[in-house]
Amino acid sequence: MSLATAAAAAEALPSAQRRLLATAGVWIILIAAPFWMPLVGGYTDLGTRVIVLGLAAMSLNFLLGYTGMMSFGHAAYFGLGVYGAGLILKDVTASTPLALVAGTLLGGIAGVVFGRLIARTRGVAFAMITIAFQQILYYVAYKWNGVTGGFDGLRGFVRQPIHLGPLVLNIRSNDLVFYYFVLAIFALAVGAMGLILRSPFGRTLLAVRENQRRARFLGIDVNRHVWLSFSVSAFFIAIAGALYALLNNFADPSSMYYVLSGQFVIMAVMGGMRTFWGPLLGAAVFVVLQNYFSSITLNWLFFVGLLFVLVVMFFPRGLLGIFQRRRAA
Amino acid sequence: MVEGKPSGRLGRRRILQAGAALGAVGAVQVTSPFIVKALGEVPIKFGYEDPLTGSLSIVAISEIQGAKLAVEEINKKGGIMGRQLVLYVEDSANDVGTGVEKERLLIDKYHCNITFGDVNSGIAYAVAQVATEKGVLHIVPGGHTDPITGKDCTWNVFRICNTTSMDANAISNILIKKYGKRWYFVTPDYAYGHTLQAAFIKDLKAAGGTYEYALLPIAASDFSATLIKAKAFKPNVLLNNMGGLAQIDLMKQFVEFGMEKEMGLGGALYEVEEIVAVPAAAQTGWWDMEWWWNQPGVPHVAEFVAAIKKKYNKIASARHWFGYVAMYSGKLAIEKAKSLKAIDLAHALAGMELPPEVALQPGKVFYRAGDHQLMPNIFAGEVHPPPANNPGNFFTVAEMVSAEKAWPLADTGCHMKYPA
Repeated sequence: MSLATAAAAAEALPSAQRRLLATAGVWIILIAAPFWMPLVGGYTDLGTRVIVLGLAAMSLNFLLGYTGMMSFGHAAYFGLGVYGAGLILKDVTASTPLALVAGTLLGGIAGVVFGRLIARTRGVAFAMITIAFQQILYYVAYKWNGVTGGFDGLRGFVRQPIHLGPLVLNIRSNDLVFYYFVLAIFALAVGAMGLILRSPFGRTLLAVRENQRRARFLGIDVNRHVWLSFSVSAFFIAIAGALYALLNNFADPSSMYYVLSGQFVIMAVMGGMRTFWGPLLGAAVFVVLQNYFSSITLNWLFFVGLLFVLVVMFFPRGLLGIFQRRRAA
Repeated sequence: MVEGKPSGRLGRRRILQAGAALGAVGAVQVTSPFIVKALGEVPIKFGYEDPLTGSLSIVAISEIQGAKLAVEEINKKGGIMGRQLVLYVEDSANDVGTGVEKERLLIDKYHCNITFGDVNSGIAYAVAQVATEKGVLHIVPGGHTDPITGKDCTWNVFRICNTTSMDANAISNILIKKYGKRWYFVTPDYAYGHTLQAAFIKDLKAAGGTYEYALLPIAASDFSATLIKAKAFKPNVLLNNMGGLAQIDLMKQFVEFGMEKEMGLGGALYEVEEIVAVPAAAQTGWWDMEWWWNQPGVPHVAEFVAAIKKKYNKIASARHWFGYVAMYSGKLAIEKAKSLKAIDLAHALAGMELPPEVALQPGKVFYRAGDHQLMPNIFAGEVHPPPANNPGNFFTVAEMVSAEKAWPLADTGCHMKYPA
């Protein structure tokens, strides 16, 4: 079957099967990434970074794309995930699973607490307060030298191999094993995210996104749903943060800086914030472009910015949104 | 393609089919056959990450220029053991996360044999950790914080620039003698600043002095509030520990406030790149230079200074020298070890003395085996506006302090261990 007939055949399928086909395609690409990436100038760690940042962008998109609330402060919960995992590995015990759980809980619980206060606001105020809370946490990390290592960051910890009975996953020194470990955690996280979005709760979030006043008339507690969405999103992004700590084997305040929050937004918008996989594609494009252009020119941010502007101008639904629009037409 | 239109037009489906066919042909025609290359054709790869953008870029760019000059010279003379040297340069953007990613890029993608970096102490620390994790020899040309070759020293990490303790110890007594024992520090809030200030305070306390300080963000640009506080403290001397553009801004504002009439100025480092960027009134104080271009009678220095001038139209600085020494250190280590294995290179470099054409200063300059720290001279002296006939001569050396004296091995806290 030629490529063209395969594409035509895919378009003729019902939407459920088409979604299934697309999902299978995404997973085949991800599972095979360590084998095809070197052929196009990539390397395994770059793939791991794409998945981790992709999870972060998808987590933000849970709030942005599916609830319609813009947060410019999600790096705070990502960063808490980073520090939570790092502090456990450095100061408590050399256990990777515990580090993951601790990072997720630290970022997630902070999201629940701050989300409670943030969820009462809307529009510009909502975005500004997310930045404000993030800056508070950033400066705590920056100034609390004794615990966080300040600007230099938290060092002196290394991700540890995972013991599963007789099987040992050597994620410490084998990049390939670590890639698949991260991919497995990613699969669990996005699987849970997909289930939540398909649940009645997820459908309610869409109602909130589309028209808050109408949702309120239907008896939906909008504030509570925004808060829950914020909290769930914070838990997911904290998982990404904990994985980021394992990837880099260090934590530093830039992981909770507003610039990173902005980059998550760029990834989500560029990839397509009304699509499930769009933010992952956005993260892949962002990370690969950053990696590629910064090796060529000092003005690499200009090119990343230019691409973002072009996508926003010509593909307002993002890169994956192109397919949605075509189907709709 | 829209239904009902003539089928002879170039439609999407046809383009896809043509693309697939071309791809299949291209895969056969374009890929190269499997030919084993002779070793002489395979270049030796060095990877250098430095903050080429951000507040420290002003000094990082000089390091890279020095490194590129050395690579050019090395390749002109036949490369390293008959193989050409390729230098990959990456921008760490003065950000730890980016620096770590770039170090991985240099090792995992470009397969660099030796890596170098970073000017920023925090990044230098973090990327050295990555190099250790990957088992690659790493040389820190310009990140000063003590623990890199101190308590956190590792078998694969070497350093060219001085440590903060070396720089502080070399100038402390001069500052006390010239100005007095009441000091005010303006210090960047990260590894370099912390260890530098701690070293100064240790010396000051030993002399019975008093001090106050302000810890500021690394990229601070407005120092007015800090200078007002400093004025109120009435110190004998203000120690400007900031680096790069932040140090320049502080010097300018110090002069704008007219504070040079009330107190002295000094510190560990006031680099050539910064001195040339400030007004003449701010070219003042007592400082260290980690290398100084004006060394009459010292062999090879004039050639190096002329080469930098010719290639970049700049005054040769310590940063140029760091980058230059970095490349030659890699070359000398490979030639001595006759191997590219990190462990062999580390053994070769430990204790190695630099030849005069690389050392570019009098006396023995060598990598101390006990902590992998380069042991050069520290040029302590006074910064002043240059004479009209020699615009680069804005520093007068008062004392050459030996690095061994400034930081004995016993004070480093390093316990060097090599893998079995």
